[in-house]
Order: sequence, then C-alpha cells, then structure tokens
Amino acid sequence: MLADKDRIFLNLYGRQDWGLEGARKRGAYVNVKDMLDLGHEWVIDQIKASGLRGRGGAGFSTGLKWSFMPKEVKDRPHYLVVNADESEPGTCKDREIMRHDPHLLIEGCLVASFAMKAHACYIYIRGEYVYEREILESAIKEAYDAKLIGKNNVHGWDFDLYVHHGGGAYICGEETALLESLEGKKGQPRLKPPFPAGAGLYGCPTTVNNVESIAVVPTILRRGADWFAGFGRENNTGTKLYCLSGHINTPCNVEEAMSISMKDLLEHHGGGVRGGWGNLKAVIPGGSSVPLIPAEQCEDAIMDFDGLRDLRSGLGTAGVIVMDQSTDVVAAIARLSYFYKHESCGQCTPCREGTGWMWRVLERMVEGKAEMSEIDLLLDVAGQVEGHTICALGDAAAWPVQGLIRHFRHEIEERITKYRSGKAVHAVGASKTSVEVA
Amino acid sequence: MGVFSKIFTWWNGSTVGTSWTLMRRGRKVGQDEFGNTYFEARDAKDSYDGRKRRYVTYTGYAEPSKIPPEWHAWMHYITDVPPSEQPLARQPWEADHQPNFTGSGRAYRPKGAIVHDTGAQKQQDHYQAWVP
Amino acid sequence: MPTAKVNGQEVEFENGMTVLQVAELAGEEIPRFCYHERLSIAGNCRMCLVEVKPGPPKPQASCALPAMDGQEITTNSPKVKKAREGVMEFLLINHPLDCPICDQGGECDLQDQAMAYGRDGSRFAENKRAVEDKEMGPIIKTEMTRCIQCTRCVRFITEVAGSPQIGATGRGEDLEITTYLESAVTSELSGNVIDLCPVGALTSKPYAFQARPWELKKHEGIDVMDAMGSWIRIDTRGPDVMRVLPRQNDEINEEWLSDKSRYAIDGLRTQRLDTPYVRQKGKLKPATWDEAFAAIESQLSGADAKTIGAIAGDLNEVEGLKAALDLFRSLGVQNTDCREAGAVYGAPGAPRESYLFTCGFEGLEQADAVLIIGSNPRLEAPVLNARLRKMWLKGSAEIGLVGPVMDLTYGYDHLGDEAGALEDLAKGKGAFAKVLKAAKRPALIIGTGALSRPDAAAILNAISEIAQKYKVVREGWSGWNLMHTAAGRVGALDLGFVPGKGGMDTAKMLAAAKAGKLSTLFVLGADEAVADADLGESFVVYVGHHGDAGASKANVILPAAAYTEKPGMYVNMEGRVQAMGRCVFPKGEAKDDWAIFRALSERLGKTLPYDSLADLRARLIADHPTFGRLGYAPEPQGFDLTALASKASKISTKPLTGAVDNFYFTNAIARASQTMATCAKLQSEAQPTNANAKVTA
Repeated sequence: MLADKDRIFLNLYGRQDWGLEGARKRGAYVNVKDMLDLGHEWVIDQIKASGLRGRGGAGFSTGLKWSFMPKEVKDRPHYLVVNADESEPGTCKDREIMRHDPHLLIEGCLVASFAMKAHACYIYIRGEYVYEREILESAIKEAYDAKLIGKNNVHGWDFDLYVHHGGGAYICGEETALLESLEGKKGQPRLKPPFPAGAGLYGCPTTVNNVESIAVVPTILRRGADWFAGFGRENNTGTKLYCLSGHINTPCNVEEAMSISMKDLLEHHGGGVRGGWGNLKAVIPGGSSVPLIPAEQCEDAIMDFDGLRDLRSGLGTAGVIVMDQSTDVVAAIARLSYFYKHESCGQCTPCREGTGWMWRVLERMVEGKAEMSEIDLLLDVAGQVEGHTICALGDAAAWPVQGLIRHFRHEIEERITKYRSGKAVHAVGASKTSVEVA
Repeated sequence: MGVFSKIFTWWNGSTVGTSWTLMRRGRKVGQDEFGNTYFEARDAKDSYDGRKRRYVTYTGYAEPSKIPPEWHAWMHYITDVPPSEQPLARQPWEADHQPNFTGSGRAYRPKGAIVHDTGAQKQQDHYQAWVP
Repeated sequence: MPTAKVNGQEVEFENGMTVLQVAELAGEEIPRFCYHERLSIAGNCRMCLVEVKPGPPKPQASCALPAMDGQEITTNSPKVKKAREGVMEFLLINHPLDCPICDQGGECDLQDQAMAYGRDGSRFAENKRAVEDKEMGPIIKTEMTRCIQCTRCVRFITEVAGSPQIGATGRGEDLEITTYLESAVTSELSGNVIDLCPVGALTSKPYAFQARPWELKKHEGIDVMDAMGSWIRIDTRGPDVMRVLPRQNDEINEEWLSDKSRYAIDGLRTQRLDTPYVRQKGKLKPATWDEAFAAIESQLSGADAKTIGAIAGDLNEVEGLKAALDLFRSLGVQNTDCREAGAVYGAPGAPRESYLFTCGFEGLEQADAVLIIGSNPRLEAPVLNARLRKMWLKGSAEIGLVGPVMDLTYGYDHLGDEAGALEDLAKGKGAFAKVLKAAKRPALIIGTGALSRPDAAAILNAISEIAQKYKVVREGWSGWNLMHTAAGRVGALDLGFVPGKGGMDTAKMLAAAKAGKLSTLFVLGADEAVADADLGESFVVYVGHHGDAGASKANVILPAAAYTEKPGMYVNMEGRVQAMGRCVFPKGEAKDDWAIFRALSERLGKTLPYDSLADLRARLIADHPTFGRLGYAPEPQGFDLTALASKASKISTKPLTGAVDNFYFTNAIARASQTMATCAKLQSEAQPTNANAKVTA
C-alpha cells in the first residue's frame, strides 16, 4: 500500500484549496527555478530514469517520447500539447487533477515545455468538462498573475499556456485527431508517419502527453527519479491513479503504486466486490478499450502494463470496471460496442463499417437471436478491424469483443440455444445459473 | 381436332396415352368455360403424396395459363370441392380470365417497346435540325 | 539509388516514393480506392494494405508509407490477401448491390476490385445503410448510398479545383459527403469528380441512364471548347456522341477536363444545319447543294475580288481553312481574317512565337513570377488555371494580375484594373516590379481580350516594353504567352488566314459591309464575329454546323461538320499540332468543310489541286512545314520583341477584361447545349464564393 507521504496528488479528493495558495502549501512551484537551471537534458534524463510510462493508455515511455523532439529549435517552434480529452468510459482521473490540483498540471506543463524547448503549450480539454475548464482557467490566471508563467516569469523560461475547449468527441483524444481539432479542422486522425515529433501542430514539432503524465513530472524531479522508480516492478514503475467503478462497495479514484495486485486494490480501496469476492464475474482493468478479465484470472492479476498484457488485456488508463455475477456481460460489451460505433470518426473503412457490424451482431446476441456460426464471424470481423485502421480506435473497438468471446463464449452459446428452444432469456442475470433457473 | 393431330401432336389437347390413362383410371369432374376438362384419379394408387392425382385436358393448344382461377385452386389442392359442384361467387369487378399472351401476337408491349403494336419501330430522331 | 524487394524481386526506386509506387514499379498491382496520383494522400480506404519488413507485424497502408532502402515488401502473402478481403467486405456491407441500375456498372473500380480481391459471398446479415442523395447541380448526379467515403471528390474540389464546395459531415457510419447547404457545385472543373469517384455515387447527370460503357465506341479526340487542345476520348453510339472523357496527357491537361468540354456535346444534337439553305424573297428556303452553289456562283460572277471577304471562326480545323484560303486566294480575294475584330496579335508577318503560349503549359510550372494581363484563366482555360493554382499552392511562383478583381482560386497581387498599371510596371514602379525583376523565369499571360480593343496596339506596346524590361524572353527561357480562347485560332494564324496584300481585317470588313462596300462575305463558322454586326446589304455565305448568329444573317447556308464529325488538325495555343479522326458522320446533307470548298472551287472554275484529304494534308505540310510535326509543342523560343512595337494612340482607362464573359456560352455548340444553359443559369444565380480570392493590392 502506498504511504500517504509518497502521494503525488495530495488534493485528489478536493478537500483542500485548489488555488495557488493551497497548491503552494502542498509543495507546488518549489525549486522549479533550480530544476530549470539544471538544463533541458537533465529533465529528460531524470524522466527517463524514473521509468515513467505514458498514463494515457498506450504506456509509451514519456522520457523517450520527449527525446524524439528535435534537439534544437530551428525555423519552426516546438509545442507541447496536453491531452485532457479524457473520454474513455470508466476513466475519470484527469478530471480530478484538473479540478482539484490544477497547479500541479500547470507546473508540469512549464517543466515539460522547458525540457522540449517549447514556449507554448496547449491543453485540449474535453467538451463536457465545463467546470474543470473554469477551474483550470482560473488557476492559469493565478499563475500568470503570480508571474509563475508567461513572458518574463520568475522561472526564466518564457512560457504561454492556452486552454482549448473541445467539442466532446472521443476520437479527439487520439493524438493526431486532437491536433487536427486544435487546428480547427475535422477531428480525424492523421496518417503516421510523419509523427507529431516531426510534424505536429501546424506542421511544427509537437509532443502530446496525457494530463497525468505531465502532472507527475515536477514531483518526480523534486523527489528524484529513484524515488519514483522505487514503486512497482521493473519497467512498470511509479505511482498511478486508479479509477475504480462498477460493482464494488466504494467506487473511488485512488493513487496507488504500480504493480499492486488487483485483489488488493479492489479489496482495500474499493471496499470489496459487491456480495464478496466470490460474486465477481469479470473486470475490465483499463478503461473500456481493453479486453475484460474473467474472475478466475483476477485472483492474482497484477495491475501494471506487463502484468495485464500477460493476461491478454492491458492497463490502459487504469479505469477498473468491476462486474459482479448479476451483470449481463454480453449486453455490457454490446453497449461498449455501441459506444465505439458512435465515436468512430468514419475516416477509414474497417472501423467505419466494422464497428457498426459488430454492434449489430452483439445486439442480437444479447437476446440470443443469432446463429452459432456468427460467434466465429464476429471474432473474424473483430480481427479484420484490428490492426487495419489508421488510429487505435479500431483496435479499441475490437478488443472488448475479442475478450468477450475468449472468456464468455459459452454464455453467448447458451443464449442462442435458449432462444432457439423458445424459452425466455432473462435480460439481466443471464449467467450460467440464472439461465438454468429460467 | 383431327385424328392426325391427336396422334402426332402432343401440344394439342391430350395425347393418345393420356386419354387412355384417363379413360382407364380417371373420373371426369367437370369442364370450365374454355372447354378444358378436369379429371381426378379413382384412387391414390400412383400418387406421390397420398392424394388423388388431378388432371386437365385442354381444348386446342395445351397452355396451363388457360385454367381459370377457381379450377387452378382445385388443381393445386387448394380446394377439394370442384367449382363444377360449388361455383365460386362471381364478383362484379371480376374480369374474364385470359390466358398468358406472352409470345403471342396479343402480348403486352409497354410504351416505347421496340416492336410496338402501333406498327414498325418509330424512326428516332438523333438530332434536331435548325429551322430558320 | 535505394533498392527494395517486392515479393523477393529487387527494385530500384527514387527517394521519396511510397511503398505503393515501388510495388507498381515492380509490376505488382495494388488495389486502391482513395489513392490518386494527383491528389493528396488520405490513406483511408485501407485497400492497399501490404506487409512491410522491417516494420510492425500488422499490414501497412502502402499508399502513405514512404519506401526505405532495403525494405522487403510483400503483396501476395495470405495475410495481405485476408486483409484485402476484409476491407473489401467492409466496403461492400453498406454498398447497395444495384449494379444493374448503376451508371458506373462496367467501369466501376469497386466492381472490378471486388472481383479480383474480394470474398465470394456476403456474411453480412444486417440492414444496409441508406443515405439521402445530395443536390450537386446540373452536372453531378448523386446516389450517396453507393458512396464508400474515399473522399477523392472532396480532395479534388479543395485542392485542384480550388472551390471547396464538397465536404464530409457526420462521423462514423453516418459520415456523408455533401455540398455545403445543399448548394450546387459551380466549379468549372466539377465534372472531374465523376471520373474520380471509384463507385457510382457521383455519376454524370446529362449521361444518366443513356448507355453502358461496353456499347460505346471510343474515339481519341482533341477538345475544341478552349484553345488548350486537351486530349479527350469521345464515346459514341450509332450516330450520337454520348459523352466526352479526358485522356491523360501530362503536358496539356494532366487528366482533367473542363465542364464545357465534357458537357457541351448535347449541343451537337440541337440546332444543327443538315441541309443547304438559300434565301429567296427574304426567306431562307431549304435547297440542294446544287442550288446553293448556283446562288453563290451567280453572286460571284463578275464581282470585284476587293469586295469579297471571308472571316474564319473559332472552331475551324486546319484542313477546311486551307481549302478555303486556297480558293479565296485563287479568286484574288485578300480580305481574309481569322481574328476577332480589332485584334492586333498575329498580324501578317509577325513571328510565330508572338502569338503562342511559348513556354508551354508544363513549362509554365517552372516560372517563378507570372503576370496575368487582361485575362481570366479560370474562364478561358480552366485546366490551365488548375495548373496555376498548383504553382500557387506549391509556392513556386508569385502571381500578379492586371484586370478586374475576380476569384481565380488562388491568391494574386492585384496591380490595377486598367492598362495604366502596365505603364507603371514598364517604369519599374510598385512591389510587383521588384518581383519581376528578381525572377529568374518570369512569365506573362496575355489575354486576347486585352489585344482586341480599340487601344490594343498601345497595350501591346506597353506589354512588349514590360517584356523587354524584365527580360521575359531570355537565354533558355521564354515567358511570352498569349492566352487564346479559340481552338481554331492558332491553326488559322499558322496557315496565314490573315489579310493578304492590301486586304481588310475583320473590323474593316464588318465596317465595309455596313457601309455597303462589301458585296459578299463568307462567314466560316464565325458566329461570334458577326453576331452583333450590321452586315448591310452584303451577300452572306455561312459555312458551319449550327444555326446560330451567322446562319440567321446568311443568304446561303452551306452545312458543314462539327468537330466530332470530321477528321481534322488543330493547333493549340502552345503551337502544338494535333490531329483527330472522324467519330460520327455529319448530320443530314452536311459535308466536311474542305470538301465543300473543293466542290465550290470546281463550280467556280478554280478547281483546287487535291481530291482527297490525304492530298490536301500533303499540300498543307508542303506549304507550311509546321503542320508536319504532330503532337509536339515547339521548343520555347525567343523572338525579337521590338518587332511588336507600332505607332499607337493613348491607352484608354477601360478595365482590361478577359475575352470570355460567359464561360458556358463561348461557341455555337455550347450555346445550343441545354446542359450549358442550365449551368449558366445556375452560375448567374449563385453567390460568388470568394473563399480563395486573397487579393493583396
């Protein structure tokens, strides 16, 4: 369990003042000038040494990403873009940072921009986060007024910070679609290469980072890379915000060390699964985009990138969605499938056509109105979407479906059989036992 | 229908073999307004599905669409009582039954068909000339 | 040169090529829908997936992936096959299988590629998506349910045509291609999106349900609707011209074609002259060829050759004009001209380069400064305008304009409406003078509109001064470009269809006719020249194919063939001689132009010395060797600019407008076309979109 002294987000629950004064009390903006004086390379090296991996879902090494930026600013300026378009179902960590500890993010933006020699940073905030935007904007104003950022600030690095309010599209959380949207165009992912580090916002070198990745940076630098690297397993270091939701007794956001076991996380912070651990049916460990894990594998699942990858799932954004035995897991995945169908940008063929197809087949499977062969068809369609698209939304749409069929194929088959034999299927509670009762 | 066509053509009325079979095994049921005669087998001996087989012999050219709807129903086992025993009520809007004229001179030809009943194909104007 | 392996076969390629292009080099066909050589890369259809090593384990979109040295590209592995089948299946699940009633059937990319790369059956059991059709004007017919969202049309309209009127709305399954606020597409190049559309979503409205591609005879032709001489394919069925499509020629029209070139052809079916007419008691009466010739014979017998004139029109092919010119010269007629009234270019004895687009269309792209004078390229040569836009997008040239402000689809420096701006430039005043001065390859584009007005001589003087001052013609470069609008003009000038010794030009002939000093006027399809002219009591012989302005003023009408109906040579404004064959036969009694003059010459006792087209062409090439070199543009060549100078009056303050006022009505065929009339009506109603008119004064 993470000790209180090791927490980075001290005001995660908003019990203290979010403003500048409160933030200063919690240690924000301490020693920033000294850190910047150590130079651009030092910051990047520290982040590399800390082993920080991107908190937005893909888990790419943050320090490595920063080092892809051109070493010197040539004819085009560098930009840092913070991805605050947090729309992943089951994830609500960035929101807490922005509304309860905005100065950590602002400070992080300053330090990260300095590391990449960027003088301007854009925060692209999700359209639905109106209150968060207001807080963030007031916090930025405070920082400007205190000359912490802006031209000729006390830190000696000219730095401007802008907040851009999105239109509320999930796809704009994809980094290149976000850049398109920021430029005022239709939010559709760009082809890669060129990568944003080469040609990003307005064709200039750009790095896009998640809110959490940026917000933890100043604290890592203050307390040392070794401190941060001390948590978790190798390659999966640091602390992480977990978002626990679903059928647990106390759904919450919590900062915990990486590589904590799922059972500990759920039992300790989530107050246990509703109706006891034995009532657990499945867990989606990293936001809706990753395949679910059935209860038997949850027993010793380790909450980090590699541990969940071994279970053919992923840490994603660490939005843990817990489902107990009362869950209609087919309907749940069908709903997620609808989400991806709704949020597909429609640019490339497999995702545009495949997401709708998968959703429609799943909708019928919820009632059992399908052929047995359609289960394999669905798996095949998911395979045709996965890896054939421009961005990762196609993968994200395919994975939950693949996970469902991998672990709960028997449940779909039972429904089809029941439907065929003319017996009613309970819309909810269609688990093994309840179907037999019906 | 002469003896000649009775023997040598199979497309006029019934063939000799059919007439023989009907005489031997059939029971005449009735006749429609076109003169087509309907028969039913006396038993279900050579039936495919346990029902007594039903036959029609045409007057003149053998063309199944000449069978009027009520007899069509009987032929296809839609009714068991032949219309000769229980005629169908005739509705005021009903037109007389006509066989299918496709392929004959009375076939329907839509407007613009290449061979229209107004005669030869109309000379199409491929261009419109200038008139001073 | 870097090399890559395509299916094990080593291929050398140039840096900057994509994997798709490298695979094509190796002879491997890669299926594609969204990729098009002349448009930006979208990479959204995902049909061109291939395996690439080194690279991620998943298949990659080859159209957007830069090829690298030592790359291994696999296009025939089971994985690639499955990926293509998957994408094809996705494309087809929401595509209606209405090929039997689809105009694209038989020439549809989706049909062909589904045959080659698709699965054998459908596994999709859900309902198909239906999309509401969009109104895109009189040219583009839409059936949006068939759309596969490749966005080629969107990219063409925004990038090449430069009038962003098509876009995509909605997302995911509901992504729809539409026009903004259901307004029609008014670009002059809009017809090209029909060719670009890989499916039957955008089809040709005038051609809708007219024919199937396999019942058409395809003829290679040359376009006459503007002076570019674009390469076209003329599709005919029986005696009808069904449609016109562009052929690819990178030196001329790339693979685009203007709407007029495509859709004015329905004018070939209306208002046709199919029999000779002779005016009797003030009324035109149908006649035989014999009667018509007799009327001309009696008119010409004893007439003074000085009172006979001939004006050639915009669409005439070279052979007919050659026969006519030979006949008139043998009759002693010197009053011949092919230019519009008041034109000062191409005067007798002027060097050939002085009336040509000397740097060529492809060569123009090398220019680093372009000055447009009294021309509206967008209306006078839309396809060339697309090239200018391409240069502007690339940022390779600064463009200046003298003439009224208009939306050219690219930004330009507006130097002034009037010719006064030319004098300033000649004196080196203004910012653009510096641009021209610094330019290594400056080019002028001079509209014929500027060179055919009362003060044209003075304007030509000013332009030639500019050309000399900024060395527009220099070692290895000639930027002197005349922008013609008539397909027959350069050919006629090359032929010498200009006033002979002591002869009158068009303006003088028309004036003489009005004054009653011209007994006979031959109008060879020159409807534009005589449309507003008062021809007095002159005996007018009209030789042409359409009952337009000229025919109604005629005393004798000799029906001739339109461009699709006769073999002929045309010279485009670059000076490129091009020939085409006969696609369909002339209508009714009409004859080829040269044959008419050959027959007339016999009747008049001055028999021309050729009996066949081959003889005529041999004679033509012997007299004018330039016509012997088919298909090539002359090398850019300089000439003595001082030769253009002449004594001239003062320049007036009238704005330097272009030669084309209404794009859709520039010749007799277009004026007879219903489609063009609809387009023109729409254009006049539409609000001008000035999205691109970034005028910097």
